Amino acid sequence: MDFLRGRLSLAVAIGAIFGALSRFYITEFAKAIFGKDLGFYGTFLINVSGCFLIAYILTLAFENIRSISPELRLMTTTGFCGAYTTFSTYGLESKGFLDKGDITMLLIYWVGSAIVGMIGVQMGVFLARSSIQ
Amino acid sequence: MLQDVGLLSVLAIAIGAIPGALSRYHLTEWIKAKYGTKFPYGTFVINLTGCLAMGFFFTISKGITGYPKELDLLIRTGFLGSYTTFSTYGFDTLTLWRSNQKLATFFYWAGSAILGLVAVILGTAIANFFVK
Repeated sequence: MDFLRGRLSLAVAIGAIFGALSRFYITEFAKAIFGKDLGFYGTFLINVSGCFLIAYILTLAFENIRSISPELRLMTTTGFCGAYTTFSTYGLESKGFLDKGDITMLLIYWVGSAIVGMIGVQMGVFLARSSIQ
Repeated sequence: MLQDVGLLSVLAIAIGAIPGALSRYHLTEWIKAKYGTKFPYGTFVINLTGCLAMGFFFTISKGITGYPKELDLLIRTGFLGSYTTFSTYGFDTLTLWRSNQKLATFFYWAGSAILGLVAVILGTAIANFFVK
């Protein structure tokens, strides 16, 4: 259990708490606004914005555009973005459309998340690179 | 609505999220050290096992009367939500594409989505053995 004492693990854990709670509140908010069965609007927004954010931060860090310590990088990416976005709920919600026989929504949500997520990643990279001073 | 969220729910999510993110982090590092960084095996395996568990625990939580809401929040919203990740999946896809492995990129990108859905269905089927 030595690894649990590391600074990096602590950074990931702190980021994860905020990430998971942000996801929870945004999903609850989406349910309150759009309706109880429409929490997937929240998940969609979360996954796309999380893709944008991780690409932005990792591009800043890996392409040396900004100097970011490993602790801060892990807290914001592996910790926050990792816990904020979710693949399991995305899968579960996709299966929900399949069970209802709503193939149109299945394709829009299931394929759409994967495609728009990649657009989010590209936008994050673009924004990070355009901030080179 | 948001005022209805009790402290216990918030605690349950936080308590689930910490081991979820840490197991993802350490599993990814361990798999990287063992199998290299050519393909994101770690995130791939994590997302699929997380989807399997999501199908399982969702069905269990719906199938058992009086299943505590906080336990559901701890396991599914906290642990599984934090264990699996969509953002790394997106960034991994870009990294693979840049490393000029076009076929592997497509397999990872579409394969995660397709097999993730299959894993949820499988997890649901396994849970139905217990609650039906």
